[in-house]
Amino acid sequence: MSLLDRKLLRDLRALKSQAIAVALVMACGLAMMIMTRSLILSLEQTRDTYYEEHRFAEVFARLKRAPNAVRDELAAIPGVAAVQTGIAIQVTLDVPGLPEPAVGLINSLPERGELVLNRLYLRTGKLPAGRTTTHEIAVGEAFAAAHGLKPGDTISAVLNGAKETFRLSGIVLSPEFVFEAPPNAALPDNKTYGVFWMPYKELATAFQMYGAFNSVAVTLAPGASERDVIAAIDRVLAPYGARGAYGRIDHPSHRRVDDEIRVLQGLSVAFPLVFLSVAAFMTNSVMSRQIALQREQIAMLKACGFSNRQVGAHYFKFSLAIVVAGVGLGTLGGIGLGTRLVGMYHLFFRFPQLEFLLDQRVLVAASVVSALAAFIGVAGAVRRAVRLPPAEAMRPEAPARYQPAIVERLGLSRWFSASFRMALRNIQRRPVRSGLTCLALALATAILIVPNSFRDGVAYVIDFQWDIVQRQTVTLSLVEPGPPRALADFRHMPGVVWAEPFRYVPVELRAGPVVRRLALQGLPAQGTLNRVIDARPQQLVLPDRGIIVSAKLASILQVRPGDEIVARVLEGRERELRVPIIGLAEDFAGMAAYMEIRALNRLLLEGDRISGAHVVVDKAHWPAFLAAVKETPRIAGCVIKDSLRDGFRKTTAESIGLLQKIYMMFATIVAFGIIYNSARISLSERARELATLRVLGFSRGEVGAVLVGELVLLTLVALPLGLLLGSGFARGIISTVNTETVRLPLVLTSANYAFAVLVVALASAFSALFAARKLADIDLVSALKALD
Amino acid sequence: MPSKDSQHSSPAPSRAAAETLFHVRDLARIYGDGSAAVTALAGIDLDLLAGELIVLLGASGSGKSTLLNQLGGLDSPTRGTLLYRGANLAEFDEDELTVFRRDAVGFVFQAYNLIPSLTARENVALITEICHDPMAPEEALALVDLADRMDHFPAQLSGGEQQRVAIARAIAKRPEVLLCDEPTGALDVHTGITVLEAIERINREIGTLAVIITHNAILADMADRVFTLSDGRIVNRRENRQRAAIRSLAW
Repeated sequence: MSLLDRKLLRDLRALKSQAIAVALVMACGLAMMIMTRSLILSLEQTRDTYYEEHRFAEVFARLKRAPNAVRDELAAIPGVAAVQTGIAIQVTLDVPGLPEPAVGLINSLPERGELVLNRLYLRTGKLPAGRTTTHEIAVGEAFAAAHGLKPGDTISAVLNGAKETFRLSGIVLSPEFVFEAPPNAALPDNKTYGVFWMPYKELATAFQMYGAFNSVAVTLAPGASERDVIAAIDRVLAPYGARGAYGRIDHPSHRRVDDEIRVLQGLSVAFPLVFLSVAAFMTNSVMSRQIALQREQIAMLKACGFSNRQVGAHYFKFSLAIVVAGVGLGTLGGIGLGTRLVGMYHLFFRFPQLEFLLDQRVLVAASVVSALAAFIGVAGAVRRAVRLPPAEAMRPEAPARYQPAIVERLGLSRWFSASFRMALRNIQRRPVRSGLTCLALALATAILIVPNSFRDGVAYVIDFQWDIVQRQTVTLSLVEPGPPRALADFRHMPGVVWAEPFRYVPVELRAGPVVRRLALQGLPAQGTLNRVIDARPQQLVLPDRGIIVSAKLASILQVRPGDEIVARVLEGRERELRVPIIGLAEDFAGMAAYMEIRALNRLLLEGDRISGAHVVVDKAHWPAFLAAVKETPRIAGCVIKDSLRDGFRKTTAESIGLLQKIYMMFATIVAFGIIYNSARISLSERARELATLRVLGFSRGEVGAVLVGELVLLTLVALPLGLLLGSGFARGIISTVNTETVRLPLVLTSANYAFAVLVVALASAFSALFAARKLADIDLVSALKALD
Repeated sequence: MPSKDSQHSSPAPSRAAAETLFHVRDLARIYGDGSAAVTALAGIDLDLLAGELIVLLGASGSGKSTLLNQLGGLDSPTRGTLLYRGANLAEFDEDELTVFRRDAVGFVFQAYNLIPSLTARENVALITEICHDPMAPEEALALVDLADRMDHFPAQLSGGEQQRVAIARAIAKRPEVLLCDEPTGALDVHTGITVLEAIERINREIGTLAVIITHNAILADMADRVFTLSDGRIVNRRENRQRAAIRSLAW
């Protein structure tokens, strides 16, 4: 080993705590980037492979009923590559151990052969045989997992009014139901909604549908236009009660998966990028200052005949050692945490398997960025050091030009102690260095703000959605829209305190070229249960004409209050209406449009009809209420608000929560690393000066006060700056979490600010304590010897 | 003061026979320009011969260190001639200067400038690693009487010992020129003497041209020739018939 390398090792050992701090900061930035990018890569690749291998369809359609012969007409449409027809019917389930009724969507399995499209993946057991046995059914994994069901268990379903018991033959997954959520529900509720498959003949017979289908899935030939195919399918199916074909973008599961990935991208690209930049900046500034401290050694090496290249290489190796440690730790951390996160998504998305895939391009890119940042810091410092004539560099620096600090010149000096004045002048003498330290402290504060703003945003969504907007206990929906009498029936159910009607109509809203499908909700003008709330947040009164849409929907359709949009009704008698937008509602999940219920019914020309009711139930009568619901065949669905809230907590909230915790851990490490390093560098840069003060008769406490005073002053300036900067980061990052299914509001609480301030204050206190202890160790004689 | 060449007493080689290492004419170094220009050297003429022991005297700011840096290739002149063995140092590029410093020049600084993380032996070896035909670090350290302290780190050595390590480091490459900038400036008299003796011994035994900066006029008696600088010019040249023994000098 060359002697320069030996020097390197010993220097590293002497600086180990700082080297470790820099490596950790770098590792945190890298780990976060690798973890999140790999997670996205894993999800996307898994999804794409799954879709391809299991032939996920591209266009879907629902209809009332069409004879099987129509299938050939569909297959003949130009651009259609493959067609799968079948039956999909929603039924009420009676699940053992579940007090409330659940809803099942039963899909048919073809009479002969396998599904052509949307093929199933068999997790355990087998598919129902059909020809030899009856009353066998396969269940989707999410529902099975929520209820602990396994092959051989039984489940009861009401098929066309008759309650039948089925044996579970196996647990399956389908690319159509990666996210098992009921249609029109923004959130999954795996306890009360499940997906099933049974043989066509048995299902069709039960519903008198044999020889017909009500569900179509299609794949496109290469180069075919989705829009043309959709239009052609709509034409073919028009006589059969079609509800309009749609592409993947409107497919509920697909869009949820897409949006979850997009949420993840929002949370996992912008912030890690900020983080990586902060880490890179820190590494750069620490390395450059560390090397500036060795300027006399650099000068000596030069004077003794070492070339700039040799000196440069030596210091590059120095930073290389730290970079290698940082990259190694960061990669391991990123893989470890990424694997854990992937494990969590496995419970959330139903893929046959979801394995962690390391995003190698990001690994390389992030490592290169970190290494470059370190090397640029080194290069700058080495260049500055070698540029000085060696003889000059070896002498102690010329005394800096001090002058009274600005605050002193303002006549405030009598309020300050000598130590404090010295601290002030020190800061002012080196504005760039003080500025860098201050910026580092501010960045440390800022990155602490972001993760907690995720947490607070999620908490706000939960409160907003389920306390401010939804104040009902349950939402009951009818099998078919019914007369107002149904509302009276609901009100007479045991335990019902209050009920308000709603009307759901599937519509297609159009403004210019943009089209979205959703359920238009008719609600009482000033309901007390499911309320329409604006951004303030205050309740909006639904007027007797016009439509209120959620702000997100308005921005997608590019419309404002006062504009008119076209609503195409997709149920019953198809018709198109032009309605003016009269207000914007706020919501954070899905998209919504509201009208006053009677106004909506007038437009539909169907008389007073309701789709169901939002109901408040007295908890004391809860079991009786649920039993009554189960006994009422007209009730198709029963959505319990608390289960929805739980579902949200367990999925989106949990994934954001886990990310938030990991981010928080990293941010804390980085904040400590930054502050500790700043204090260490400031101490070593000033060792001589501080020793001189000691020799001149200042006490250890007074000298400590100069150093600590400086850190405290810089921290005081940095904190508000950091809070401001952090709020900006949070705003930028949260605004990327803005999808059609999930959005996060920017919520900045005083608790969030207080926590960031606390961490930075603690880290500063710890670093100051450490610096003060080091100060006691300074050997006064040797620190001064080289002075004159 | 006598400035004419005359008979030299041993041990310094006869000047007539000695080779001229540095040929300096009208050497000037001006820092900055315009009204902010500072003239550090204002036209120096001198020749330095192999094996000589030279003392540069002068007050602070007189230009001694600037001249030494010019001789050592640490800085380039603004104008004038600066020849080393006939080669014009003023025209050397960075790489050539590096090679010049590596092969021909040994530096001793007032502040020692040892690498704190290397032992005495390693500090010397650091330099011998990069030059042709160096002495063994042990040999160089023995020359400065530090054979028994070789494995100590700088922090474990006294100031005089550290300066002697610095000298060992400078001479281990067998330089033709040894440039010492206030080598005793930070030392007490007794320690200073041991350091100067080490330099003188190297000069005598290896025949290295030694140029020593000091502001202590008493030390001038140890030299073959003495130049006094003021305001960037040589204001006095003196030649000693006999170099005084260092132990006889008191300051």
